[in-house]
Amino acid sequence: MDISPFFFYLFGGLAILFSLFVVLKKSPVASAFSLVLVFFSFAAIYAVLGAHLIAALQVLVYAGAIMVLFIFVIMLLNQDVPSFDIARTHVVIRAVAVVATVALFGAFVWVFKNSALPAARGGFSASAIEMAGGNTVVVSELMFNQYILPFEVTSILLLAAMVGAVAIAKRQKSSAEVLREAAANQRKQAGRAAVGGAK
Amino acid sequence: MPNLPMINPQLLSMSPEQVQALMPYFLVCGGTIIALLACVLRVLSPKWPVFLLTLATCAVGICSSIGLLHNGTSVTLFNSMMVSDPFASFFNVLFLASAAITAMISFRYLDREKIQHPEYFVLLLFAAFGMMIMTSATDLVMVFIALELMSLSVYALVGFRRTDRRSNEAAMKYFILGSAASAVMLYGAAMLYGATGSMEIHAILQAIRTTPTLMTPLFTLGVWLVVAGFLFKVASVPFHMWMPDVYEGAPAPVTGFMTTGLKAAAFATFVRVFVSLGYGHALTETIQTHFHNILWVIAVLTMALGNFVALTQTNLKRMLGYSSIAHTGYLLVGLIAGSASDQGYAPMVVYLVAYSVMNLGAFIILTVLASRDDGGLNLPDLAGLSRRHPWLAFSMAVFLFSMAGIPPTAGFAAKYMIFSAGVQAGEIPLVVISVLCSAVSVYYYLRVLVYMYMRDPVGSPAASRMSAWSTVALAAMVAMTLQIGIMPARALSAAKKAVTSL
Repeated sequence: MDISPFFFYLFGGLAILFSLFVVLKKSPVASAFSLVLVFFSFAAIYAVLGAHLIAALQVLVYAGAIMVLFIFVIMLLNQDVPSFDIARTHVVIRAVAVVATVALFGAFVWVFKNSALPAARGGFSASAIEMAGGNTVVVSELMFNQYILPFEVTSILLLAAMVGAVAIAKRQKSSAEVLREAAANQRKQAGRAAVGGAK
Repeated sequence: MPNLPMINPQLLSMSPEQVQALMPYFLVCGGTIIALLACVLRVLSPKWPVFLLTLATCAVGICSSIGLLHNGTSVTLFNSMMVSDPFASFFNVLFLASAAITAMISFRYLDREKIQHPEYFVLLLFAAFGMMIMTSATDLVMVFIALELMSLSVYALVGFRRTDRRSNEAAMKYFILGSAASAVMLYGAAMLYGATGSMEIHAILQAIRTTPTLMTPLFTLGVWLVVAGFLFKVASVPFHMWMPDVYEGAPAPVTGFMTTGLKAAAFATFVRVFVSLGYGHALTETIQTHFHNILWVIAVLTMALGNFVALTQTNLKRMLGYSSIAHTGYLLVGLIAGSASDQGYAPMVVYLVAYSVMNLGAFIILTVLASRDDGGLNLPDLAGLSRRHPWLAFSMAVFLFSMAGIPPTAGFAAKYMIFSAGVQAGEIPLVVISVLCSAVSVYYYLRVLVYMYMRDPVGSPAASRMSAWSTVALAAMVAMTLQIGIMPARALSAAKKAVTSL
């Protein structure tokens, strides 16, 4: 346990570094790959904190499934247009952004230095989880018991997100038109088959 | 070592009271899923079934919420993740009614814009469901998830006119800024957890009360980040930048929904979290004044900016967007005064209702008048409206008088309540500034009237036709504007019942 602060800072630093790459890299693919590395750093932090299940899920779901899909989409769209170019923003905006960021960072540093951490402990310490049977048991039991409402509403949230994405992305035709077109296509194909047969 | 709270047998079953208290949520959620399934019906046009299902869902939801409101009990649910109390029921009625009216006015609009996709109505229902959960949530995790449910649905609705560039821009802007605001709020919630060891708002307050040493700078920063997330959603200065563009780009009925449902949801949750976090009665004197002063400045800036920028707008949607910012300012006055006056937050709640009614009404008219791609909503386009559509012009006049706060309309009654609560709370300078700002607002509201009644029409604009649904919705809004204006006591007593349950 003594070396864990070192690893925490190591992976925390890496996460911040790669997050900056996500924002600052001009090519979307490079940004996406940096994001993969951010997720890996997160997974490592979770592992350092003793949450091995979450670490594994982080790698499987985020770094694996979601990001691969992300990169597929970016590559399929094949847009090598620079997504963000800091040189194009107005100089005043740049100055304000820098000042605000530094000020916010200073405020956060001050706050964390002046608050004894952790101020209050929740129940989920590493030893308590060990006693209760390990991460997987605790997560699964809590998720379907005490945290059932967030779990269910999250699934509704994902459904809504899916519906919204489909509604925005699908071809803009009314379903009547789609049906009519499908019927026309069928007729065309039938006609072609008939012509082919005659030959 | 504290034993971990594992499976809690109480949570494995639900008592009849709990089921009853959850009825509106079950009904709306079930109705949404059924409507979603109806979208893929292989009939020529699924629009009618989905539309009618949407209205039916809202109707049963409203009925059961009203039942709960009369019942007046508050039931804590799901390991105190949410609470179903009269406050939540009151706002559920508001959200569902605004969703139903938005659906009613959208029906013909979608046909006209050639974007008649049944998903539109499903997304409306999802957004309304998110608002319902958000207002009842007592856990910051739930607040966040419900906020996302509401916001994601609205992002999609804003970008629904996919072929229109402004609509795309609005959706993109709103999505990116809204996500950033949600992230800020989540960060704040995480800090509160770090500072107090709980995400449940009552438990946070309890922790602070029992061990005052927990009130570290971390706690304050967490609270402020959460508040910033809310202030973004209600579009108060300095988080208002997204609003005019989004309001202009979104389809007109969606804009109406955003100004009413979304704003009411954000404010209602704001009040619940704020009151439960101890604003006004529990925290130390320093924190109290600190909060009060910052909100004071924000309220003044919001009112001033909203009203003065609205003066220069010629597009009606944009103008109503800025006016919505201004109304956020008045609502913040109600929030500030709420802790010190004896009406509590009731005037603010009445104001939210009045504002929703009159604004939704105004957007019904804009939806009817809009030409293709929401064009034709500039001031000169309204010239001579009183001759083309006397009833539309009359209704618009009622709503504009109401927004300007002229009796005998809802806006006047609500403003009067908020300002008198402010005076009672000893906020004389704030009230004076609000009254001055609202005097400024009379100019840009009445300018629309001048165009409608005193200018000759330019050219011969095509007469717009109203669907029966819109007519019913409009008549209801006019009636309610006048009803709240003439008999505000009923609305006030309902609002009082709601806020006392907090």
